[in-house]
Amino acid sequence: MAEFSWETRSPLDRALVGGAHGAQGEVGVALTEIRNFDLVQVIARRGRAPDMASAARAHFGVAVPETPKAVRASDATLIWSGPDQFFVLSNGGKHGMDALGQAFSSSASLSDQSHARVLISISGDKARALLAKLSSIDLYPAAFPVGAAAATSMDHTSVMLWRGNDAPDEQAVFNVLVFATFAESLWHTMLDSGAEYGVEIGHSEDLA
Amino acid sequence: MRIVCPFCGERELGEFTYLGDAKPVRPAPGASEDEVYDYVYLRDNIAGVMDENWYHGGGCRAWLKVTRNTLTHEISAVEPAAGAGARQVAK
Repeated sequence: MAEFSWETRSPLDRALVGGAHGAQGEVGVALTEIRNFDLVQVIARRGRAPDMASAARAHFGVAVPETPKAVRASDATLIWSGPDQFFVLSNGGKHGMDALGQAFSSSASLSDQSHARVLISISGDKARALLAKLSSIDLYPAAFPVGAAAATSMDHTSVMLWRGNDAPDEQAVFNVLVFATFAESLWHTMLDSGAEYGVEIGHSEDLA
Repeated sequence: MRIVCPFCGERELGEFTYLGDAKPVRPAPGASEDEVYDYVYLRDNIAGVMDENWYHGGGCRAWLKVTRNTLTHEISAVEPAAGAGARQVAK
């Protein structure tokens, strides 16, 4: 009987090679894969959206996003993903399926997406220039401020895009959640798009 | 062509999928064969304003009812399709 070794690996394990990519010299864009996060999609049961909203408020202490926005709670980010549904992004297991299953037992259905999506953080001087090649969303600072979110498509791939808190150097940080099996393709597209600006590639376990 | 999704805002056509005429209503159980045939197969070929079902699969995955002029592609109204399950339309 064959012996199996089950090891959790990122869907970008093969594609992601840390270091510099593209134009030498300046780093225009930093592409960072965020690993080991907990992601749960919360979808209100029919007619129970108000109950879901109050359960979310009781559990997280913030109002659930009802428009395309990403809302920060103390140790999680709630990201609107469609009418009457949102993602809970966190790490450390505090807001995984077990904890949320109790909080939303009567109002919403949950779906664990932790290993089904890849989270890519895009920052740097040329982050908007890179994303402008892939997305038709207006990312101008006034049109897409911190906390703005969009369920949209990039390179014919459905993604969840939102702007996180600015980096310490005040540069904007964009986050993209993409289906795991599409991640490698989108990753290569991002590298191609960013090559002319110089890309710094890495991975991290810190949620932005 | 762009469609203003009531949940997401204005998006390009590539994010949406066309289903077809929003007018046909599923016949009641026990309806005659002619009524079912009409519902399943027969469609009006409208040159002008019609209600259509569109799916925002590249975005919020909501079904929408879009009122469109098939001659000019002018869209006069977009609303969530019946049963989309949305509590309210985003402001």
